[in-house]
Amino acid sequence: MTMTIQTGAAIRGNHKPVRTRKRATFDTTLGRAFLQITAVAIFFAVWEAGVHAGYISAFLMGSPSGIFAGFYNKILSGELLVDSWVTLFEAILGFVIGTIFGSLAGLALWYSAFVARLVEPFIVAINSVPKIALAPIVVLWFGTGLISKVALAVSLTALVALIAAYQAAKDSDVDLQSLMISMGADKHQVFFKAVVPSTLPAIIATFRINIGFGLVGAVVGEFISSQRGLGHMIFTASSLYDLNSVWVGLFTLMIMGFALYYVIDVIERTSLPWKQGTTSHQVQV
Amino acid sequence: MPPKQVQLSVANVSKSFAGKNGDVTVLDDLSFSINESDFVSIIGPSGCGKTTIFNIIAGLLEPDSGTITYRGQEIDSLRGRVGYMMQKDLLFPWRTVLGNVLLGLETRGVDPKEAEVKAREYLKQFGLAGFENAYPKTLSGGMRQRVALIRTLIMDPDILLLDEPFSALDYQTRLYLEGVLKDAVQTYKKTVILVTHDIDEAVALSKRVVVLSGRPARVKVVHEIDIDATSPVTARNDANFATYFKTLCAELDIQTEKTA
Repeated sequence: MTMTIQTGAAIRGNHKPVRTRKRATFDTTLGRAFLQITAVAIFFAVWEAGVHAGYISAFLMGSPSGIFAGFYNKILSGELLVDSWVTLFEAILGFVIGTIFGSLAGLALWYSAFVARLVEPFIVAINSVPKIALAPIVVLWFGTGLISKVALAVSLTALVALIAAYQAAKDSDVDLQSLMISMGADKHQVFFKAVVPSTLPAIIATFRINIGFGLVGAVVGEFISSQRGLGHMIFTASSLYDLNSVWVGLFTLMIMGFALYYVIDVIERTSLPWKQGTTSHQVQV
Repeated sequence: MPPKQVQLSVANVSKSFAGKNGDVTVLDDLSFSINESDFVSIIGPSGCGKTTIFNIIAGLLEPDSGTITYRGQEIDSLRGRVGYMMQKDLLFPWRTVLGNVLLGLETRGVDPKEAEVKAREYLKQFGLAGFENAYPKTLSGGMRQRVALIRTLIMDPDILLLDEPFSALDYQTRLYLEGVLKDAVQTYKKTVILVTHDIDEAVALSKRVVVLSGRPARVKVVHEIDIDATSPVTARNDANFATYFKTLCAELDIQTEKTA
């Protein structure tokens, strides 16, 4: 038997070099933007070509050129800006009111386990009603103006915030509360120093969902009865088979929701500095 | 040596909890006393109710029966006058290091400016200057537990209740923090009750070790630890250390055999 002594080179030879995972060529901000814009451009190009070739009915589907023309005209006439502003205002107002009151109510339920247990079935019952079904009554009660849309948006957002805030308050770390009690803190101090801050991430997480619900409330309210707003624009255009205008309204809503989402994102990042960095490392699979 | 004054005594305390199969008696007629400037470790088999004792002293739980006497006066609990430290550092993640240290003083309603000056002083003394504005999750386990210790000490509590405060830390960090604790206790002349499962730690730090029996907890034996060492590391080199260690091990072993 001979003994083989591995030399350094041999050992190294057995080692696979540690490979850092290479990112895809286009995986940069600019590269991704390029791919995304290209995808959208191809989508519209195919659509437009289909309309020209007669495969797609411009009457039922609209056409990209018609949509762009619609955008241009509505921006020039100022109509689009006014309608967007009306809807945005209704949505944000409903979102803010609903989220604030919902969250406060949810947090307040922490104070009394008895009251919380008492009202829980009512909350579940109210939450299980599709809020959109309330729209006709809301219009009857609050008229065709701003208030009915805001009320609808509030009804959609408030319960989401309430349930999230209450759940988060219930899940708040009992050990932190015990620590405060051992320090001699009273219930208010435990609530404001231990419970409320711990619920903020959950409450802020509802902003994302609720800003969308705010828009839903505003648009549905406008469908039922209104003089202005993107919902009004979409509704009247579709009843006139003006599909291009319908798309203008839809795309504007999309852009609006998109922008609001990023605003919420910034709010989330700046309001919870202590949370930052927890998700920066992603496991590579 | 001056005669030892009893600071806190727990007499005939019982506590049971409702369990699935009827009530579980955790503490049964438990009595012990703690002297002024004492450092007492409580060791016992796991689940014997050490934490329950602390929760009763701290006022987080009410005993079914029994009395607590503090400097001659019968009291309900020491709520607001104890410093409670647990295995988890229980730092508030949304508060900075400074904010965490200030928590107790805020609760007590101390003037914010005064409190901040004091907090910065303490942080400096414990080598955490420069970390005032850091959030807990950016700190190491040892540093976090040091912040928890400062938060406890700054309240100037009558008694420190330490519930396995270092058991989640690695050995070096634990040794280091035991030293920090020992120094701090001497500097601030604090009475300490330490619950631990670490016999080694109990002998190295304490003046007395109380051995509890398995559930329901009763005081089995109390050992006076006669080691005069300046640090927990030198204590471990003391001639008597091994003897105490062996004795305590034996006492705990017998019980585990009986209850197993």
